[in-house]
Amino acid sequence: MGTQEARDLADAAVAKALKAGASYAEARVQATWEREFGLKNGEPQPSIFAEGYGIGIRVIAGGALGFAATNDMRKAAVGEVAVKAVRLAKASAALLQRPVVFDSAKPTTKRWAAPETRKIENADSAWLRGVLADIDGRIAKGKAGASIPGRLLYLSAELQERYYVNSDGSRVIGRVPRVSFGGSLTAIEGGTTAQRFIQQGETGGLEVVKRIRLAEKVVEEAEAMLKVLKASARPPTGVVDVVLSPELSGIAAHESVGHPQEADRVLGREGAQAGESYLKADSLGRKIGSDEANVSDDPGLPHSNGYAPVDDEGVAAKKRHLIRGGTINEFLQNRATAGQFGVKSNGAARAVSFDREPIIRMSNTFVEPGDYTTDEIFKEVKHGVFFKTFTEWNIDDKRLNQRYVALEAYLIEHGELKELVRAPVLEITTPRLWGSVKARSKHMEFEAATCGKGDPMQGAPVWTGGPETLLSGIRLGER
Amino acid sequence: MDLDELNRLAIRKAEALKVDDAIALSARGTDSMIRFADNSATVVNRVEEAELTVYLAKEKRRAIASTSNLSAAAVKKFVEDLFKSMKGLPQAECAPLPEKVTKYSQSGGFDRKLEDVEEKLPELAKVAIDSSLAAGGKRSAGVISAGKATVAILTSSGTTGSDSRTAITLNIRSFGEGEASGHGLSCASTLRMFDPAEAGKRAGEDANRMRLASEPDAGKYEVLLSPTVASNLVETVARAASAFSVDAGTSYLTGKLGKEVASTSFTLTDHGVTDGGLGGRAFDDEGSPTRTTRIIDQGVLGGYLHNLTTALKWKSETTGNAGLIAPHPWNLEVGEGDSSYEEMVKEMNNGIILTSNWYTRFKNYRTGEFSTVPRDGAFLVEGGEVTKPLKGMRAGDDLQRLLTSARLLSKKREWVQWWEVDTPTLCPWVLVDGVSITRAYG
Repeated sequence: MGTQEARDLADAAVAKALKAGASYAEARVQATWEREFGLKNGEPQPSIFAEGYGIGIRVIAGGALGFAATNDMRKAAVGEVAVKAVRLAKASAALLQRPVVFDSAKPTTKRWAAPETRKIENADSAWLRGVLADIDGRIAKGKAGASIPGRLLYLSAELQERYYVNSDGSRVIGRVPRVSFGGSLTAIEGGTTAQRFIQQGETGGLEVVKRIRLAEKVVEEAEAMLKVLKASARPPTGVVDVVLSPELSGIAAHESVGHPQEADRVLGREGAQAGESYLKADSLGRKIGSDEANVSDDPGLPHSNGYAPVDDEGVAAKKRHLIRGGTINEFLQNRATAGQFGVKSNGAARAVSFDREPIIRMSNTFVEPGDYTTDEIFKEVKHGVFFKTFTEWNIDDKRLNQRYVALEAYLIEHGELKELVRAPVLEITTPRLWGSVKARSKHMEFEAATCGKGDPMQGAPVWTGGPETLLSGIRLGER
Repeated sequence: MDLDELNRLAIRKAEALKVDDAIALSARGTDSMIRFADNSATVVNRVEEAELTVYLAKEKRRAIASTSNLSAAAVKKFVEDLFKSMKGLPQAECAPLPEKVTKYSQSGGFDRKLEDVEEKLPELAKVAIDSSLAAGGKRSAGVISAGKATVAILTSSGTTGSDSRTAITLNIRSFGEGEASGHGLSCASTLRMFDPAEAGKRAGEDANRMRLASEPDAGKYEVLLSPTVASNLVETVARAASAFSVDAGTSYLTGKLGKEVASTSFTLTDHGVTDGGLGGRAFDDEGSPTRTTRIIDQGVLGGYLHNLTTALKWKSETTGNAGLIAPHPWNLEVGEGDSSYEEMVKEMNNGIILTSNWYTRFKNYRTGEFSTVPRDGAFLVEGGEVTKPLKGMRAGDDLQRLLTSARLLSKKREWVQWWEVDTPTLCPWVLVDGVSITRAYG
């Protein structure tokens, strides 16, 4: 994406927008390259490849924000789009009650790339198919075998390259290779079925498949599903302790900490779609959890799915300490919300493609590790349940009322893991969940996920993760 | 380059490479949008894009690719690269394109007034906001989206055509005192049918009515689903009716052809093209004519949605719902009932009215077990009377049980398409029995 042609187009678009009356302008030329292959119950699906190339131009004009995009990359066409963005922004100023003001972020000049060992461009159909055929063979013919008739597996290799420039002086060139796996497994035995959706992936080249032990993980999931089919014990009634696995810690951190602490939601900008937040602009400093509740978002984690050292507003990103010692510490900010809050952006603005405006996104959101070993966490529990994996989940649009239904879950008695428990349900408010955190292990794991937000919708790659997290005094339901 | 020229270029190149079958599907569209929050514009968006999708098949190897780099040289190289990529593929059963050639002409659903509406969007948004304020809402957030799109097809067997459509949608959510909120939609294929004032009024009225809402007791309730909520669930039913979902093990409709899957009052139809429909076109991605398909006929599962390849596997025929990989619905219609909204409320003894929902997630698509989170207007009904507003609940069920308990449907129906409903759906109010309502522990 460092081509002179792309740079010239973006630079010219910014100049054109400023000349047309914008007080601020930015342009992002973004190229996407993707190869994907799928197997459905072992049958090859058509291979897919996609290539996208276009420019997104965002302006402030008349105090209003305008965004326009095109994949017609002729210079004159791009210029027209820049002028159009300015004209539409000015027209919308009639409905503007508060002008958009960006923070005074320091301009960034940087070329960055997510590290890769084996270049992502080497991912051809044969390689993709080979990886999937190995996985499918192991779960179709191995020990997991005949009881998993429903197997839909996809593997993709993707490269995103971008050149970003803004009128404040930022110029950023970024390159993100990524490998992603998605699988839907349906196990059936007698009249009972179990289903699991698996998502794995991180930034990097072809080495990712081995680094994340992809095949081994999917086989482990398949074997766990067969065990789950035989689960018959009902979840305990009454008040018990609950241990959340890294997977459950991660989804809870993402849904009930990351989302409500997105400053655009706090200010109401996503009100008609993903909703607002139970937190308000003056909620910073509010005690929401126990002293053990510590949740962060870090776009700088090596290999992470949400790796983004510079955001799509040209701001150098940094680790965000969302909840510290149970206290709301920081919101995820872009330049517009930071301007409204009177703070500096912490680099949380991302756009998934050239035709989407950058909006506030989580990157890699996780419960911070503690001091316990995993065994020590379990030893703390006299009577409780270990939520290892989950299926159904959802949360209300203020992020106060959430639900996680376990797929693989175990009874804990006197510090020991006992039999499988059938579909326990953790349906709990956000303050109760984070107020119940008693201890955290030092063992960390992360899961790949796609976070949906925005209108038009933008599915952003993220990690969710954490340690084993002990919650005390929880009442469970059952499915 | 116009779309027909793009398609010809791609097919000529594919034929030179001696493929068995080729499809070129090109699209050009413009989407304009204004978003607002707290009664104020937050951003305007305008995206103008063109894209070419190419399907190639040779000796039972298939590949699909899309590109937005549309210069002649780039398109030729793109088709050549796609062809080369097929060499590493295994063979798999697939259906050839039909020999019958179809010539499609534009099928309507295009309003020229929507072509130039983008600079009027702030004005239309103001109509919705003002209407909400007048009805009792204090602050509104929302989006108006207007778009036009043309899709053109050319296959190696000679099928050709194009289809152009327009649509405009408003999604407005108004907020009142405390946590009170209401929701309104207006979805239309023409500017004349677009009604931002009515949508704003509904959102504002419910934002006002939801003051002092309380949490209900957990338990089983009769639930009156608005067209918005019912459409969200109906879309998951239609996806389960895709033969691809059945094959993949992700459909609760597996093994139920010809069997009862809903009450006799429930009929679900998919239309490739229909009056007022916001989506769809005259041909599918394989060049087959789209049609009207009765998915559920008076409670009985009538058939799955097919493309050529799933039809081959199922020894059936395409229903014109391709998706080059997976069949999908175009425009859904739930058959009308004979009740008015007021009559349905009177029929409820201990029930809840739900006007909007989000975050529907499945425990298991094979069993159809799901839960969804109601939001905005929700009201308790006791003895046929609305008694109080409700908040902080979750509805859970399975789709088979839910639809077989559908007791009454309204005569009046509405088009629904918004953030939580991708497939445009013409839907009535639906009264169902025995839905599980739960609350969070906290």
